[in-house]
Amino acid sequence: MYKVRIVVVCGSGVAMAMHAAYKLREYLEKEKLYAHIDGCGNNELPGKINAYDIVVSNAQVTVKTDKPIFSAIPLITGVGEKELVEKIIVKVREIQEEKNND
Amino acid sequence: MGNINFNDENMNQDDLSIEEHLILVKEKATSREEIIQKLGSTLFENGYVKDTYIQAVLDREIEYPTGLQARLTGVAIPHTDTEHVLKPAVAIATLNNPVIFNGMGMPDTKIKVEIIFMLAIHDPKLVVSTLRKVIFILEDDEALKNMDHAKTKSDIKGIMINHIRSLSEK
Repeated sequence: MYKVRIVVVCGSGVAMAMHAAYKLREYLEKEKLYAHIDGCGNNELPGKINAYDIVVSNAQVTVKTDKPIFSAIPLITGVGEKELVEKIIVKVREIQEEKNND
Repeated sequence: MGNINFNDENMNQDDLSIEEHLILVKEKATSREEIIQKLGSTLFENGYVKDTYIQAVLDREIEYPTGLQARLTGVAIPHTDTEHVLKPAVAIATLNNPVIFNGMGMPDTKIKVEIIFMLAIHDPKLVVSTLRKVIFILEDDEALKNMDHAKTKSDIKGIMINHIRSLSEK
């Protein structure tokens, strides 16, 4: 089974990415989805983005990419969190299926 | 998640300090710069951060703003890189009148901020457990409301510690 790779990005990777990543992991595990989730600082993203399937960021993503990008803000404030997590879950399942069929 | 001990005399030095001398209540400030200066000064004067910290927070706020619209109110969590920090702490202010912060991840969005949690973090891994509980207060309408109404530093410290304890017991 392919493990979807998610990177959670914040300004400097100091704090907020870690918080959002923990919450996302819990939500995914409740759905029996076991993704690989890392945190990183926004300035590290250009060098790392190719290694991931999904970007979840609370900074503006300026690097050009066709990968799906989600906002991490709902994971920090709780506002709109359910809707965000549902969208990410759909995307994770989609990518998992694609990669398993490759 | 580790145990947290908030007895002042034997608090874990590596965990985030939440202390009355780092709390400002119904503070008057007319701009985000002013409140960052004031909170930063409490951290600096009490030996939590280096003299480079305040400017670093002000600079970072321009590149990576930290205003967040919680359900109940606008909150900001200004912080900066670990190199400017000596000991981990969170300095807290409630404001007499809101000041405008730009939105995290949405620099064109203006957020009316009434509560500020200024983070001094020297090693995210050491403080992540407590830090996460502090951030969870953004989702706790009751705690935010109580904080907004609080009249003394000790009330605010009490609200924070009760909030953190309630999460630790879960």
